[in-house]
Amino acid sequence: MITLSAVTVQFGGVKALTSLDAVLDHPVCGLIGPNGAGKTTLVNVLSGMVQPRSGRIEVDGTDFLALTPKQRVRFGLRRSFQTEQVVEDLDVWSNVRAVLDHVPHDRRHANAEVGRAIEYVGLIQAATTPGARLNLFQRRMVEVAKALVGAPRLLLFDEPGAGLTEHEALQLRRTLLGIRDFCGAQVLLIDHDVDLIRTTCTQTLVLDFGQRLALGPTHEVLDDPAVRRAYLGAEE
Amino acid sequence: MTTLTLPSPVALTTALDRLRRDRLRSLLTMLGVLLVVGVALPWLTNAYWTKTLTSALALSVAAAGIGLLYGQLGLVSLCQFALLGIGGWVALRMSHGWGLPFEMCVLAAGAVSASVGMLAGLPALRLKGLYLALVTLMLAGGFQVVITVIGFPDGGLGWLGRVEGSERLLMTRPVVAGSDAAYLRYVVLWLAAVLTLIELHRRTRAGRSWALIRRGEAAAMGAGVNVLLYQTWAFGLAGFCAGVGGALLAGGVGQLDGRAFGASESVMLFALSVVGGVHHWLGAVIAGLLLRAVPSLLTDYNVNGFLAMIFFGAALLHALITAQQGVAGQLLGLIARLKARFAGRAAP
Repeated sequence: MITLSAVTVQFGGVKALTSLDAVLDHPVCGLIGPNGAGKTTLVNVLSGMVQPRSGRIEVDGTDFLALTPKQRVRFGLRRSFQTEQVVEDLDVWSNVRAVLDHVPHDRRHANAEVGRAIEYVGLIQAATTPGARLNLFQRRMVEVAKALVGAPRLLLFDEPGAGLTEHEALQLRRTLLGIRDFCGAQVLLIDHDVDLIRTTCTQTLVLDFGQRLALGPTHEVLDDPAVRRAYLGAEE
Repeated sequence: MTTLTLPSPVALTTALDRLRRDRLRSLLTMLGVLLVVGVALPWLTNAYWTKTLTSALALSVAAAGIGLLYGQLGLVSLCQFALLGIGGWVALRMSHGWGLPFEMCVLAAGAVSASVGMLAGLPALRLKGLYLALVTLMLAGGFQVVITVIGFPDGGLGWLGRVEGSERLLMTRPVVAGSDAAYLRYVVLWLAAVLTLIELHRRTRAGRSWALIRRGEAAAMGAGVNVLLYQTWAFGLAGFCAGVGGALLAGGVGQLDGRAFGASESVMLFALSVVGGVHHWLGAVIAGLLLRAVPSLLTDYNVNGFLAMIFFGAALLHALITAQQGVAGQLLGLIARLKARFAGRAAP
């Protein structure tokens, strides 16, 4: 469970997040908003790459702002980036293993854990394929597999569906929905694909100009006239 | 409702076995090629070429360090030849001063150059690209000034070990490699050992961490990588390669000349490592050969060896524009295409 209390982030004279309060307690939560709303800033704050000016963040009761980025990873935080970060000259196996190397794990079962994650995302047949020979969908799935190793507790996916076809997005959706059963981690999903958010997330936070515009069950939030006006571009 | 694929032990085991097989095969291929080279070269070459190839392969050991830094981490270090000189100085000093076994001198040279390499790498924590290149080039320039003044130890007394007014002594070679042919084989063994050390790093935690850092420091930090530790380690290992190369060069020639360790040599070694290919062990071997064997070959044909600089410049342009995997990448690509062609013919 993520608890944000009065989180404010300021870059010079620009407030990227303004006194943000939210409690995200569903297994798969969505984070949406127009460009520049502060979504990626919030992910950066959660992962420790940006320090908020004020406020408090708790994840499963732990004071997150007291932890360094490395400690947050060891705690169980995983994140993906808008541009996938697959290493081209490492095979799929090594790409995933590279993440497991730096988090607490049982060395005796390290290979099995990596294999389990790779198989879960459907890439076991491509386990020895170098990153350079993977297509975009496979790269996106490698990013998901990387997030699943080493007892993760909170996964932050920043636009994992960008550039995917409808069929691929469907597979991604199934994969994201199964994560809770797979490893028990909570997922915070940022994406502009409203269909993906609608079908994957049961709770959604909407940001606009760094402020909370709406928070609640996804179908209610997406039907909210204010959200439709600000984000979906609908007329009143 | 979700549809999950349950982990299948058979698929998992098959993938793991395939991975292990691929890695073992490529490591054994490397060792096999070096073994053949080590056995065959002394038989095929005359005395001049035996000495030339010994120097070339000693330089390949140092070039392997550049491949590690640039190929694995994308860091440009222009002080590798200076680190090689430091290794040579330490090896000569320990051999002449204390009469230590050759292998101890080589390891001490590697250790000292690794320490200096780590210090040289400290700016890398803040600087990248051109700025890091300039800082490391300054270090190479500093070494050039110092070594021109103090020279390399040659059996004299005192801390600097310089001979005054009498004959300079040669570094004692290892007992098992007294002749030039045996020493060439000995250098190939060290080259194989250093390349194996780097390959083992590349395939394990350190190599994976370097790859993440190269992909993006933010992503590496997001994965919990200790960027400071792994970058420093890479600089240390690259320095170790240079130090070992310097000691082997000193053992081959017997003495080293300070005038041969200009800062421009570090730039040349880096450029030829890029031409050779920094992503494969073969690139380091090619870089050493280009730096020593090509000028000697031109001299053999009564062509001024300095013309090699022009060829190297053209080769560097070619590598940067059209062949970023270097000569090694092109050779491996050619082998792969030939294999595919023969496999296609063999198929019914």
